[in-house]
Amino acid sequence: MKNQLKVLRAMRSWSQADLGEHLDVSRQAVNAIETGKYDPSLPLAFKISRLFALPIEEIFDDEFEGAHND
Amino acid sequence: MTNLKERTMTDADDMANNNGRRRMWMMFSGIGIIMISGAISGYLSQRDAQGDGPLTTLDVSILDLFAAVILLLAFLIWKLFQQTKQSGERRPRRERLNNRIIWGCGIFGGIIGLALALTDNIGTANEPSLFASGPISPVLAVILAGAIGVVLPAITFYWHKHVVDEQEEAAYRAGALIAIYAFWFVAPVWWLLWRGGILPSPNGVALYFMTAFIALIVWSWKKYR
Repeated sequence: MKNQLKVLRAMRSWSQADLGEHLDVSRQAVNAIETGKYDPSLPLAFKISRLFALPIEEIFDDEFEGAHND
Repeated sequence: MTNLKERTMTDADDMANNNGRRRMWMMFSGIGIIMISGAISGYLSQRDAQGDGPLTTLDVSILDLFAAVILLLAFLIWKLFQQTKQSGERRPRRERLNNRIIWGCGIFGGIIGLALALTDNIGTANEPSLFASGPISPVLAVILAGAIGVVLPAITFYWHKHVVDEQEEAAYRAGALIAIYAFWFVAPVWWLLWRGGILPSPNGVALYFMTAFIALIVWSWKKYR
C-alpha cells in the first residue's frame, strides 16, 4: 500500500531508526512499510496516525479508492 | 514538496538498509559454513566407512575446495561485520535486543552442535555426522534435551512476546507456512520413494534440518530484503 510515511518522516528530519523508536518497531519494519512491502496492522496504523496527528487515509493511500477519485 | 521527497531517504537510512542486508548475508554465510563443515565431515566418514585407505589427490582437491569456500565465507562474515561496526548505525531498542538474542541463540546452537560433534563417533558412522543417530552418554543427552526443550522455548516465548515486532512476526509466519508445506510434501514423497526401493529410508533429522533451513531463509529474506 502506498503511503506518505517517508515524506512525513522527512518533514521532522527523522531517520527510519528514529521513527522506529517512536513506534516501538524495528527499522526494518519502518522500511518495509515505507516501500510498500508490508502493510501495517490496524493498531500500528492508528499509532502512526496519532504520531503524525493525521487521519489514516491521509497517510495511507488506498489505490482502489484513488483510482475512483481520479 | 519535490525537494522534500528527494531528501526522504537520509544517509542514515541508506546505511541502515545496507546493514540490514549485511546481517542477512552474514547469516547465510554462517549457515554455508555449517553446511560445508558437515559435508567435509560426511565425506571423511564415508571414506573411512568404505575403508578407502589414504587420501588420493582427488580427495585432497575436494577437501581443499571445501576449505577454501569456508575461508572465503569466514572472510566475508568478518568483512561485513567490520563494515556494520564502522557504520555507527543507531538502532531502536527493540532491534538491539533482538540482535542480542539472535547472536545469543546462534552461540548457544553452536555450543550444542560442538558438543555433539566432539562426542560423536566421527569416522565409524555410515552417514554424515550431522545426521548421525548413534548413542551418546545419558548425561549429555539430558543436558542437551533440557537446553533445547526448556531453555530455548523460554527464550523463544520471551522473544515473540516482547522483542519481535509485527513485521518480523509476519516474516516468521511466511517462513513457517512455506516450511510446513515443504515438510508435508517432501516427507511423504521420500517415504513413497523409499517404499518403492528408490531412496534410502526417510531420515527424520534431515527432514528437521530441511524444515528449519527453509523457515530461516524465508524469514530472513522477508525481514531484511
